[in-house]
Amino acid sequence: MSGDDLPTKEANVLKGHEGAVLTARFNKDGNYCLSGGKDRTIRLWNPHRGIHIKTYKSHGREVRDVHVTPDNSKICSCGGDRQVFYWDVSTGRVIRKFRGHDSEVNAVKFNEYASVVVSAGYDRSLRAWDCRSHSTEPIQIIDTFLDSVMSVCLTKTEIIAGSVDGTVRTFDIRMGRELSDDLGQPVNCISLSNDGNCVLASCLDSTLRLLDRTTGELLQEYKGHTCKSFKMDCCLTNSDAHVVGGSEDGQLFFWDLVDASVVSSFRAHSSVVTSVSYHPKDNCMITASVDGSVRVWKA
Amino acid sequence: MASDEEDFVFFGTPIEREEDTISRKKKSIAEASGQLRTLAPWKQEVRDEEGRRRFHGAFSGGFSAGYFNTVGSKEGWTPQTFTSSRKKRAEIKQQDLSNFLDDDEKAELEGNSLGTSMQFDTFGFTAAEIARKQSEKEQNERPSAIPGPAPDELVVPATDSIGVRLMLKMGWRRGQSIKSSKSTHYDARREARKAFLAFAGPEDAEAEDAMETAAELPTDDLNRFQKSTPVYVLNPKQDMYGLGYDPFKGAPEFRDNKRSHLPGNRESGHKKSHPKKDGLFSFKPRNVAPGFGIGALEELDAEDEDVYASGYDFEAFVEEVEEPSRLAIEDKKKPSSKQNDGVLPGFKAASNTDYQLERFDPPVVPKDFVPHHKFPTTLSVNQKLTEAPPPEVPPPVDNNLKVLIEGVATLVARCGTLFEELSREKNQSNPLFNFLNGGDGNDYYKRKLWEARQKHGDKTKPLLNEKVAPNAQKMSAETRGNILGEKPLNRTTKELKPVAPATDNVNLQFHLSDTFTEPALFVEPTEIAKPFQHDPAKQERFEQYLKEKYRGGLRTIDAGGSSKMSEAARARERLEFDTAAEAITQGKWGKESQLSSQQILGASTGLGLQFTSGGSEMNGVSQTEEVTTKSMFPKREEFQWRPAPILCKRFDLIDPYMGKPPPPPRSRSKLDSLIFMPDYVKAATDDKNTFSNISSPQVDENRRTNVLDAEDKVEVENVEVENVERPVDLYKAIFSDDSDDEDENINTDQPEDPTKKIEVANTALSRLMAGDFLESLGKELGLEVPPDQPYNPPEAIKKPTVQDIPQKHEPIDNDAHKNVSRQNTKELKETTFKRDEGSSDDEKSRKRSKRDYGSTGDSSDGYRDRYSSSRHKGRKKETKAKRDKSSSDDEKSRKRSKRDYDSASDSSDGYRDRHSSSRRKGRKKEHRKHSKHRHHESSSRSRHSADKEYPDSKSERRKRRD
Repeated sequence: MSGDDLPTKEANVLKGHEGAVLTARFNKDGNYCLSGGKDRTIRLWNPHRGIHIKTYKSHGREVRDVHVTPDNSKICSCGGDRQVFYWDVSTGRVIRKFRGHDSEVNAVKFNEYASVVVSAGYDRSLRAWDCRSHSTEPIQIIDTFLDSVMSVCLTKTEIIAGSVDGTVRTFDIRMGRELSDDLGQPVNCISLSNDGNCVLASCLDSTLRLLDRTTGELLQEYKGHTCKSFKMDCCLTNSDAHVVGGSEDGQLFFWDLVDASVVSSFRAHSSVVTSVSYHPKDNCMITASVDGSVRVWKA
Repeated sequence: MASDEEDFVFFGTPIEREEDTISRKKKSIAEASGQLRTLAPWKQEVRDEEGRRRFHGAFSGGFSAGYFNTVGSKEGWTPQTFTSSRKKRAEIKQQDLSNFLDDDEKAELEGNSLGTSMQFDTFGFTAAEIARKQSEKEQNERPSAIPGPAPDELVVPATDSIGVRLMLKMGWRRGQSIKSSKSTHYDARREARKAFLAFAGPEDAEAEDAMETAAELPTDDLNRFQKSTPVYVLNPKQDMYGLGYDPFKGAPEFRDNKRSHLPGNRESGHKKSHPKKDGLFSFKPRNVAPGFGIGALEELDAEDEDVYASGYDFEAFVEEVEEPSRLAIEDKKKPSSKQNDGVLPGFKAASNTDYQLERFDPPVVPKDFVPHHKFPTTLSVNQKLTEAPPPEVPPPVDNNLKVLIEGVATLVARCGTLFEELSREKNQSNPLFNFLNGGDGNDYYKRKLWEARQKHGDKTKPLLNEKVAPNAQKMSAETRGNILGEKPLNRTTKELKPVAPATDNVNLQFHLSDTFTEPALFVEPTEIAKPFQHDPAKQERFEQYLKEKYRGGLRTIDAGGSSKMSEAARARERLEFDTAAEAITQGKWGKESQLSSQQILGASTGLGLQFTSGGSEMNGVSQTEEVTTKSMFPKREEFQWRPAPILCKRFDLIDPYMGKPPPPPRSRSKLDSLIFMPDYVKAATDDKNTFSNISSPQVDENRRTNVLDAEDKVEVENVEVENVERPVDLYKAIFSDDSDDEDENINTDQPEDPTKKIEVANTALSRLMAGDFLESLGKELGLEVPPDQPYNPPEAIKKPTVQDIPQKHEPIDNDAHKNVSRQNTKELKETTFKRDEGSSDDEKSRKRSKRDYGSTGDSSDGYRDRYSSSRHKGRKKETKAKRDKSSSDDEKSRKRSKRDYDSASDSSDGYRDRHSSSRRKGRKKEHRKHSKHRHHESSSRSRHSADKEYPDSKSERRKRRD
């Protein structure tokens, strides 16, 4: 895949959020996207047509992360109000609120079966919430982190989370073990490669690091952008050929996965690019920024 | 009800007001109207227009205003935090009016009292004003003799003395110094300026100088008024000394001079523009370029610094040097500032200043200097290697001698020649050690020594030898002294005991090769043993593992090196390594490292290089230093983590911890669940190996076959035992369960030697039991109990063959003994069975051990405690020697595993070569104790536990049969 195929052309601008947009996520098939921001709302968009579909309002504070189930029926979201919200997509109602985090919740994810929501909080814990039962208590609290947990990823058998304490910890449910990969730098965001063998960690020393998950080996480092003080996303392209990351100056960077060279970088937003999400199949990408817009990029 | 209705009391008329749109109001009104009809007056509630209940009654809060029923804060009466009156006496608070005022009252009060305070009425104007007003007021009010308004001047109270007023009239202002120095001082300065200007030619320096003085003057004028108020400025600190430091302490005669510099005394402060020559050191730091240290005598005036911070003086100084012809002029020109001739009586100003700027050049770096430190290791290694190898010699026929020689050679290679001499001295009379003095086997010894040295040479440096040798000496003095004298055979196994030098070496090795680049990371270098010495490949992997663990490197070799192993085996090994590493970290390897000391000797010959040469590796390291520092991160660690069962369920996974007890805290969990179980299993196999007459050390790969081997033997034994086991229910009830743990208990008092077998103790024990009270019991039951027969434990190191075993049992025809042997086989079976079922399924084995523990635990707790205390005593020494501060529960866990281990090992009837008689004696006593204790125990309980255990073994056996 050459640099030409990269989604560098702005296809749509999704405007509607007041204030910073903190997260933007494609749904499973990439037809829709969700965004959440400082205006305490979650918005559902059709990014390809640039249409705002629905707004979900219930959060008391900013929405920091949002995730949608594979069947598009439920949303989970979290934010500054220390709660994890479990929404019904069509009605826009909150089905359940999971309270328990002692402070802000940074990230949230469904598992594969959408039966568990795992949330990562500033309170140095990961909490797993059961969506099937009516219990509002977490079914598990993982509190081995030493600092705020910034990001969480789930595989079929593992919970992977990155923390400001510099570790990316993998909790293997099947094996019953915890692997802690200390990167030495606060981890801002982690993202799994599509083949599931690597994890990309965005560190606060303005470096993205690619780790081999089986060995914990550092495979590559990606530099050039600025990431020092904001929670910013990074991800790999759907072909795992490039690494995408935003910068605090509003730029967007594409690195070659293997040789870590900057393939492309351009100014995508006028302010910090908080979130990037890559389309699962097409060469399409959405970015969210503090400037209040969500932009859709296509090749 | 009817009568009630008549008692209605109406409060006013309920009016529906339309503007009351607030729901609460409506509600309240509705309620109020409802109340009116329905409630008795004492039940009605008074609410305010907002519908809130304001009055609650005396018992429920009274009148609520502001914050609910309390004082004007949300918290109400906040209790004061308790302070100990002992340390801090409660001070009596000065209360004033404001303490008792509400906020609004305070605000009111403050609104009135805005004004100037008399306290700050510096010049008395306000006072005068007030007084005047007052007097005016008074004047207006009272009838006066003089009609009309009196002139102000008459009534003004005399706040100022007439003198002050006169001064004011004369132009003096308050705050100004009365001393009118203006005329004289000013004139003198003006003259001085004129003089300067007269000299001022076209030269830059002079012009500058003139400008400088000119610039100086106006500031002085300004300063004069501001600063001439000595009342306020008491003694401002203007120097750079520390507080209270008196530079003139030793030389008070300088103080006057200094004082004349002080700006507080302005007159002399200006003297630098005077042509005054009486100053002491008034050349002052002007000659000193700013930034050069200030001596005690060089007084830097604050103002000097301010004015001359430009570095001008330095230039002047240079100029001076360059043009000595102008010196005279300059002298006159700046008499006070530059070259003040003021000298102390008896001193003369030096004609040339010896204040020289000294420059220190940086040292010259030699051209051939390489900023890399090299270590001389490789050199020494090379030296060692260049030694001519002695010729290859066939080993002596005597296997024991061979083993001994090899052991000594390894030791000598490790600990230096001093050790050789020492042992030679010690064993002069011992024929076995003849090889040291050139007897038979000497050649072989030399060859072995050379080999061992080669092997070891990389690790040990000549430097080290000196250091280590005394250590070895110490060790041999205390440990070998008692062992060597008696039996040389013991020595062969015990000789490897000086672990300390060995570990030292290893440590050093690790230090050099491993941690050199990152010493910070390598936190636990103190104790590193070779736990898997009998298995070089494994040991190598272990070392690799260690490296990875502490460096956090990339685990590539792990996958490659042990690619032959199955995933499970690898995982198991990894756990094992974990355990070992942990044990090492906590410094309690000691015992376990001795685990297979028997094998060490044999294996040492076949041992490859365990460590790569430190020198070569280090070179590589220094080259790849950058890489390694980079690869410090990411650092991978692995922990146990227990997912919640429901989480597993939701993830559609099988709970890895299903059916297992809740996990202990992480730090301990590893120890408990993993530790020593592999060792235990291994020990069992080892036992089998010896049992099945395989004397050579076994590596892991062989284990399977060995196991099979051993199983065959077990089968043999089973057949033998089967017919014996029928009639001994009673004895079984008494013995079966307890004898296990007793044995275990007993045998744990030999912690140093894990390879020790327990058979002798076992048989001896059962014999003793029989002797003690079986006899009586048997008599009671009408059984025949033969008298005690002397029992000879096998002394030789030779391992008994399978055929030996029945022989050994033959003379003891007693039921009890058969029982014991059955017991043994049962245990044996258990162990083998366990091993079959995935030998390192640690959880299982733990469970099993727990069961053992539990079943024995309730019955024998009493004396176990006693034992453990005594054992503790005995162990204290060794733990000290190991510099080990193991906590009690670690100890316990070790003990437990130990016990397990022993119970396993006692089944094999192998060589119990080292049962010194003294030890047996000690045990005899213990057994007596036991037996007594057992008398107290209710037999039913033991029977119960026996029943519990028995079917187990039976079923197992059945399984085996199948």
